[in-house]
Amino acid sequence: MSALPQTQNTTPTTGKEITYRDAIRDAMSEEMARDPNVFLIGEDLRDPWGGAYKTTVNVSNVYGNDRVINTPIAEESIVGAALGAALTGLRPIAELQYLDFVMRAMDAVVNQVAKVRYMSGGQVQVPLVIRAQGGGGRSSAAQHGNSLEAWLCHVPGLFIAHPSTPYDAKGLLKTAIRLNDPVFFIEHKMLYMTKGFVPDGDYTIPFGVADIKRRGTDVTIVANSRMVLYALEAAEILAADGISAEVIDPRTLVPLDENTILESVHKTNRLVVVNEAVERCGWAAEVAAMVQKRAFSDLDAPIERVCARNVPLPFQPELETFVLPSVADIVQAAKTSLYLA
Amino acid sequence: MFMSLLLNFYRVMTRIRTFERAAYELYTGGKLPGFLHLSIGQEAVSVGACLALRADDTMASTHRGHGDTIAKGVSVESAMAELFGRVTGTCHAKGGSMHIADFSQGILGANGIIAAGVPITVGAALSAKYRKTDQVALAFFGDGATGTGVLHEGMNMAMLWQLPMIFVRQNNRYAESTPMVEHTGIVDVVQWACGYGMPGVRVDGNDVLAVYDTVSKAVERARMGGGPSFIDCETYRWYGHNIGDPGTWRPKEEIDAWRAKDPIARLKIKILEDGIAGEADLDEIEAEEQARMDAAVIAAEAAPKPELHEALEGLYVDEQLGQMAIRGVRS
Repeated sequence: MSALPQTQNTTPTTGKEITYRDAIRDAMSEEMARDPNVFLIGEDLRDPWGGAYKTTVNVSNVYGNDRVINTPIAEESIVGAALGAALTGLRPIAELQYLDFVMRAMDAVVNQVAKVRYMSGGQVQVPLVIRAQGGGGRSSAAQHGNSLEAWLCHVPGLFIAHPSTPYDAKGLLKTAIRLNDPVFFIEHKMLYMTKGFVPDGDYTIPFGVADIKRRGTDVTIVANSRMVLYALEAAEILAADGISAEVIDPRTLVPLDENTILESVHKTNRLVVVNEAVERCGWAAEVAAMVQKRAFSDLDAPIERVCARNVPLPFQPELETFVLPSVADIVQAAKTSLYLA
Repeated sequence: MFMSLLLNFYRVMTRIRTFERAAYELYTGGKLPGFLHLSIGQEAVSVGACLALRADDTMASTHRGHGDTIAKGVSVESAMAELFGRVTGTCHAKGGSMHIADFSQGILGANGIIAAGVPITVGAALSAKYRKTDQVALAFFGDGATGTGVLHEGMNMAMLWQLPMIFVRQNNRYAESTPMVEHTGIVDVVQWACGYGMPGVRVDGNDVLAVYDTVSKAVERARMGGGPSFIDCETYRWYGHNIGDPGTWRPKEEIDAWRAKDPIARLKIKILEDGIAGEADLDEIEAEEQARMDAAVIAAEAAPKPELHEALEGLYVDEQLGQMAIRGVRS
């Protein structure tokens, strides 16, 4: 392989320590200061409430209600109106309170936002960010804990960001806001209170550049969003057993930094893909298909997938934990790929 | 002023009908791919509403959008080339009949999805207010959109935010094949506008002057910050839902009655009776539009088709990331 990408931006260990939630808020707030055409639209965004997950606290206090627009509960119209604004010179950030609710907005997202540039022969740009948080882990049950990233990755015309750390969340969201293409930005409800360092001042993280969260030599673990934290925990456990796992976070699912994954597999000859969504037709299958096609001869073992079981998320906490991928599942999958299980 | 306005109505309505008659002939002759939904019979709504707008006002249309988009300013040359699937088309052959959009003319797009243009228009109106311009935004939709959620969401939002927006329902009597009585619980949907707290009015959609006057008042109110309006235009499509549907499942007496209310013929009588122009003047307008259309068809057919590689282009603004997304390989 040649022309390998420079993976960069490994998570800083100094700077200002903030939560993932504040990283999201700061990215939006700083971009609103930079550009008066950036505004927020969605449900329950204004102070003092500041969003269902408090990602917009103290934004309307600073920028006023004209730039933080509370809407009726009407997801298709939230996204459709944001599109209309994006087509007429503004740079909206639309929030869907739960990723699950994108199902109410699917025509606007898929048929309108993603396609209008292409269908019009490139006449327009769509500088629009749609934010939503997904994922399980807090007994939110079957309609408030979906991981629908694969649905969105399936739509030509969108970019998809899915960050796991405060540093990545802030840098990627700033990039998303500055891009002139529509970005679906997926957060995770269980990450909002996690902390990490961010640099002082302005920075951005490019799309399509994976981050190697942990270096290793024996097995490659590709994970996204909250599953990156699980993969890092699994890597610690594996290390105690003398297994060196490399953990790769693609950070954006579309575009996907394929080369960083391929280079790692070239080194480790083994791949585990971890994704919180149900396994069938999921994002892990797409990564596995890509790797078997482009690096078949590098593989010494079948590619392992660690995903949720193919059922809706149950409410009861033990059942939910049973259905979702676990750190132990990742450890097991890594050992299986090394023929140690 | 008034005289030239009427003659302009006549010219643009003639232009639309000439375009759609040509499209009909070409499609049935096997020259055009895809779907084709004709709006012949509805020209007064398209023209009366769009000519009440300024060039920088925005408008969203429907799958039956030739008339609306031509009235708002798309050229028949580029629209016909789009129907042929040629690179000279309005959308470079990527959109076709259902997706004609010309953003330089304030056209946010025809749309293949019923009522999908409504929330986009809400956003354009919100944007005008945000940017503190006095632009207005107009959404066309049909009677088939009457029962959709986004129409009602949009009416609520427009009223809530007092947006400079006009809802124009093109009631051509049938949602594909289903008459109003089979899909809407009340006859007079203007009551809904009242229910949302916005002015609503029904107008004879085959009377271009009535449509123009009504929309003009709504535009003026919206521009002055008076909020949205709802206008219900009663009209009829002479042809079926699309080409391939002759529309003969409708009662013949009904079709004949509506053809007798031909909006172009009515305008012609008005112009002649008021002495605004003579028969020869109107014939000249028709001949000019026909000649323009004939030339547009010849030019469209002669224009090149897109190269195959163009199918993989023009999706994203960011070319490098876009190619990475499309091809799956870092460029």
